[in-house]
Amino acid sequence: MLRKFFFLFLAVPVIGFAQIDSTNNQPAEEDFSQYDSYNLVDKAAKKYCTSKVFDLSPSKLISIGYDFQGGYDLTTDTLFNSNSNQYETQNAPGFSNIQFSHGLRLALNIPVISNNAIIVQLGANYAEQRYQINDLKKGIAPNDLITTLKDNGLRTTGLNTTIFKPFNEKHFLLFQASADLNGDYGFNSINLKYLRTSAAAIWGWKKGDRKMIGVGFSRTYRVGEMNYIPVLLLNYTAPNRKNGCEILFPARAHYRRTFSARSLALFGYELEGQSYRLGSRNTSAALQDLELRRGELRIRAVYERSISSFLWLSAQAGFRYNYSFDADRLPNGKEFFRGFFGDQAYAMQNTLGNTFYCMVGINLVSP
Amino acid sequence: MKNPINLFLLFTLLFTSTITFAQQADDLVGVWEPSNGKVRVKIEKIGTKYFGRIVWLKAPIDSVTNKPKVDKNNPDEALRNVPLKGFRLLKDFTFKSAGEWTEGTIYDPENGSTYSCTIKMKNKNTLDIRGYIGISAFGRTDVWKRLEIKKQ
Repeated sequence: MLRKFFFLFLAVPVIGFAQIDSTNNQPAEEDFSQYDSYNLVDKAAKKYCTSKVFDLSPSKLISIGYDFQGGYDLTTDTLFNSNSNQYETQNAPGFSNIQFSHGLRLALNIPVISNNAIIVQLGANYAEQRYQINDLKKGIAPNDLITTLKDNGLRTTGLNTTIFKPFNEKHFLLFQASADLNGDYGFNSINLKYLRTSAAAIWGWKKGDRKMIGVGFSRTYRVGEMNYIPVLLLNYTAPNRKNGCEILFPARAHYRRTFSARSLALFGYELEGQSYRLGSRNTSAALQDLELRRGELRIRAVYERSISSFLWLSAQAGFRYNYSFDADRLPNGKEFFRGFFGDQAYAMQNTLGNTFYCMVGINLVSP
Repeated sequence: MKNPINLFLLFTLLFTSTITFAQQADDLVGVWEPSNGKVRVKIEKIGTKYFGRIVWLKAPIDSVTNKPKVDKNNPDEALRNVPLKGFRLLKDFTFKSAGEWTEGTIYDPENGSTYSCTIKMKNKNTLDIRGYIGISAFGRTDVWKRLEIKKQ
């Protein structure tokens, strides 16, 4: 008898354990109205606004992408020496047909602190632009700029940080800073002379779960040259949760169409560019202290969808319009500010053709 | 050890520590509110594990459909009509040590994603709930506060 009770005693918790169905999302019904009368035991946790609005395109923790631009022409000017006020005729104008340009893009963003009171994210990024140049026009020798683009391409390797600090349910500060090494360098010739820094600070207002706006100021190289410009932030989702916009003007502006929680499309533009120091792997004196100001406008359609849990595929295609591919001779190797209204002469004025482009990537997205 | 008093003390110690352990583990049980105040979640012990379900919604009606909110973003289409009220979004937590429950998951109805999750009790009325992807570094922590029924 005692043995039977013993087995019964053992069996009850085993049966109870076996009956747990953790996949059942909807347990037995109960009277939920009782929970209306519950109150916080302590004072409420301070409420902060979040960094997102409903259906915002997901932020990327790890991103691996490949960028491809179709064929276009590059015509380079004779170098102008602003000290002597003369053209350096030993470096002749050049013309080349670039069959295509392409490159790998990698980004890593780690939220080192991430709670409802503050998000501090540290990141690293790498982007390259390689030029496939086969057809040099007969009778015109390739000049040093074309040669280094063909042989070395352009690289950006950088570190960055993003800080989102909400102060309450309505107000927040968004700060971004990055330090990038930009140039035609190889990894064995990295030098701090390639270092370019950018930063932006935005004061924002969260207007509910569907809208956030902000105004701020940035130091940027987005159109190739260093510039100081005001910035406007607007992330908005319409009440139907299908339409919205994601704008950080003037850097980018997109209309967003949401298909589901796991797929969306963006239509708009992005300004992309950097300032690259040249001459790292080319002994030509003509390239020393030459700074290439690459800026372009990408009018594009982007499609993003989840392919597995937190892995998202991103594909974009559009038209790449050249804004700047001119070059400056830095006085004593020091960066200078021209802005939109400066009249400093370029050392080399170049013409870059426009073309279509596409980019595909796979991303691990943030919670 | 053959002394019956020592034996009694040993059993008493084992018994009380077991009860204390169980009490600490069950400190998680109750009704809690995330920092955004949009839902209330009742955490219960089922078997040896802890589960939490939504028992209250600040905005229970979907503004688009004018019907009670359902789990419309669930990756499984067959589950998209399941009401959010009563939905089990915390699952499978086990008590690890004083003030810490691990090996669970948390579901976000906003995007239909399920995250790995750990719960740390800062004090008896405050939880730090961290959802993450893969490793804890890729995550976000939210503060939940305990609720109790109004005293008459």
